[in-house]
Amino acid sequence: MIQRLLPFLTLIALFTGLSIATPNFLTALNLSSVVRQTAVINIMALGMTMVIIAGGIDLSVGSILAMAGLLGTMAMSKGAGVHVGVLTGIAAGMLCGFINGFLATRLKINPFIVTLGTLGIVRGLALLISNGLPVHDIPRPFAYLGEGTVLFVPFVLWVLVACAVAVHMILEHTRLGRYAFAIGSNPDAAVYAGVNTAMVTTAVYTLCGLLTGLAGMIEASRLMTGQPTAGQGYELSAIAAVVIGGGSLRGGEGTVAGTLVGAFIMGLLSNGSDLLGISPYVQQAIVGAVIILAVAVDEFRKRKTG
Amino acid sequence: MLLQLRDIQKRFGGVTALKGGNLSVEAGQVHLLMGENGAGKSTLMKITAGMIQPDAGEVVWRGQRVDLARPSDASAIGIAMVHQESLLAPHLSVAENIFLGREPRTRFGLVDRVRIAASARRLIEDHHFPLQADWRVDKLSPAGKQLVEICRAIQHGSSLLIFDEPTSSLSEAETKEVFRIVRTLKDRQTGVIYITHRLDELRSLGDTVTILRDGETVHTGALADLPKEQLIRHMVGREINSIYRRDPVPPGAELLRVEGLTRPPVLDNISLTLRAGEIVGLGGLIGAGRTELCRALFGMDPLTSGTIRVGGATLHARTPRDAVAAGIALIPEDRQRAGLARALPVSHNMTIAHLEAVSRWGGILDLDAEQRLTQSYTDKLRIKSNSPGQLAGRLSGGNQQKVVISKWLVRGARVFLFDEPTRGIDVGAKVEVFETMDQLARNGAAILMVSSELPELLQVADRILVMRSGRISGELPGRTTQEDIMHLATPEAAQ
Repeated sequence: MIQRLLPFLTLIALFTGLSIATPNFLTALNLSSVVRQTAVINIMALGMTMVIIAGGIDLSVGSILAMAGLLGTMAMSKGAGVHVGVLTGIAAGMLCGFINGFLATRLKINPFIVTLGTLGIVRGLALLISNGLPVHDIPRPFAYLGEGTVLFVPFVLWVLVACAVAVHMILEHTRLGRYAFAIGSNPDAAVYAGVNTAMVTTAVYTLCGLLTGLAGMIEASRLMTGQPTAGQGYELSAIAAVVIGGGSLRGGEGTVAGTLVGAFIMGLLSNGSDLLGISPYVQQAIVGAVIILAVAVDEFRKRKTG
Repeated sequence: MLLQLRDIQKRFGGVTALKGGNLSVEAGQVHLLMGENGAGKSTLMKITAGMIQPDAGEVVWRGQRVDLARPSDASAIGIAMVHQESLLAPHLSVAENIFLGREPRTRFGLVDRVRIAASARRLIEDHHFPLQADWRVDKLSPAGKQLVEICRAIQHGSSLLIFDEPTSSLSEAETKEVFRIVRTLKDRQTGVIYITHRLDELRSLGDTVTILRDGETVHTGALADLPKEQLIRHMVGREINSIYRRDPVPPGAELLRVEGLTRPPVLDNISLTLRAGEIVGLGGLIGAGRTELCRALFGMDPLTSGTIRVGGATLHARTPRDAVAAGIALIPEDRQRAGLARALPVSHNMTIAHLEAVSRWGGILDLDAEQRLTQSYTDKLRIKSNSPGQLAGRLSGGNQQKVVISKWLVRGARVFLFDEPTRGIDVGAKVEVFETMDQLARNGAAILMVSSELPELLQVADRILVMRSGRISGELPGRTTQEDIMHLATPEAAQ
């Protein structure tokens, strides 16, 4: 039990440690900046949680994030309202996710390969559409998504909470979620039980795309640009958050709470290192070591309990 | 005396696997090792093969105490194990597998492929094995893979061969082949330890027997002195009715009618009917098309022609979903792989085929209803689990089987296709599986039971269909004889 709670305890220890070690950590300004920074990875990681539970993987989320942010901001720069712009970005993410799911299930290509392919294709298309140039002329109110505050709390935190509750509900309280666990845990058994595995898997990738699209719009709002080069390497952070939180790349395991903890651990590591003046080079190594450590502990727990 | 194991003990964490394993084998002797699942047979043999180390006890080899710290220590003194699940490299050839880890080298230190191929060919020819040195191992049947493991053991000059349930996945003909090879080994003064569940195949093969129960040797001696009933009593530790016989119930309405089912080249014009309350056996050799028939009925493979009617309605089974919706359940041979999500709770496993029963408003699950439903089936089928939330993989094999069956009862399935339901299940649990099937039939289900174990078909089935090369070659009454089944199952040319 203690080992199951380990990620959560680590987060608390990290939080306490940083509060003591540096006076600049426990301030409203810094904490809200941590929340804003991690919200993007967090929301992507929620989508990734569903994909990983269903036994898949999505390497293309970084590219999808860029494509969604780009198309959303382009729509706004062409005169569309903020809401339409955001919805455009989300729809673009959904479409990309659907294509991933479709290719993985209908052509029966390994999802690692499919999304490795779409990682390149989507990024390439984003660069092609934008000519490699960022979109700048965006209506001011769009900044609210990334920088706004509601009831003293960053607006993105509300968005994150809403997404987390929704994903938790889907995973634990709907047929779709149950099927995702079944497919990830034993795909053959799911087929024998009459589960429409192709449809469920496609739905899961589509939802992941949706959340990534939303994350893309938040990223664009924070930077107030649509960057075709945004989100490079984010897929690995999202996967790392899921894995630190107890998700298994073999499928069938993962929780929303775990993923949130995983993402915040990485967020605090990076924020804390900044505050403590640790070089970004060393930061990368620390995050890498934490990933390996987290999975090692999890494997050890599973082996012990059989 | 070739090998002696004295008071071997082994614990895994809190579980005692062995508390007194004793066994001795002489050269040129076939020694059977029997016992129920979990009795400690595999642990004892893994210790003999150096794969795990005992906590206490002695391994004595040719009169000298040896310490087998790793598998290579065992193979160095001449002990080899033929595994149930093949431990071969599937993408390499037969010859390469035989020499894996001991490749002869050329003068330049490179692997001598010519010599590997030639030696393998000679070895195969010497023993008249139905193999070719250059075949790729992943193209071989389970029997073929075992032959490769046997070749490997012979090549390494092993003087003691351990067979771990070699025939459990083999056809009748392949089993005979393995027996023939075991006898050849025996004639060449090799010692053989043979782990098995099958009582009937042993008399012709074994010289001596050791029976383990709960980690202890409870009997050892000559096989000829031991009547079958006593053998079972030693294994189970209690009186058990091994001569299970089902009392048929009068069949009810026709639940399944299959006409002219064809899927070249594996199924050819199959017609059959199943009635409520019936258990129909499906016999035949491996490769006769029995599993393929189940798969076709379950919508897993496309048909070229033929009709399937379930309860009077035509079923176009294009996917398993269609078959499930029509009320067909397939309990596949490999339950672990295809029947159960081991890492998920019992409740999830039971409701997965029919979540509609526990959901509201189209897709929201009613978790309380799910718990109640799970509990009611746990009680009804007397499944031994702590709670509906217990992970399915933690249950015993027989209880896992019941969870799989419950899943289909929740779904309201009426036609059950059991593919080799007793494979890998021990004697005590077999009767329980038969009783569960009988209960299903009494409650109005129709059952098609595929089995390669002829005595089981005779015990359980009301009537027996026999398949041969994709066709139904005949139907026999339940009280037929093994000879009649074999006659229908064997290709005409061989008769």
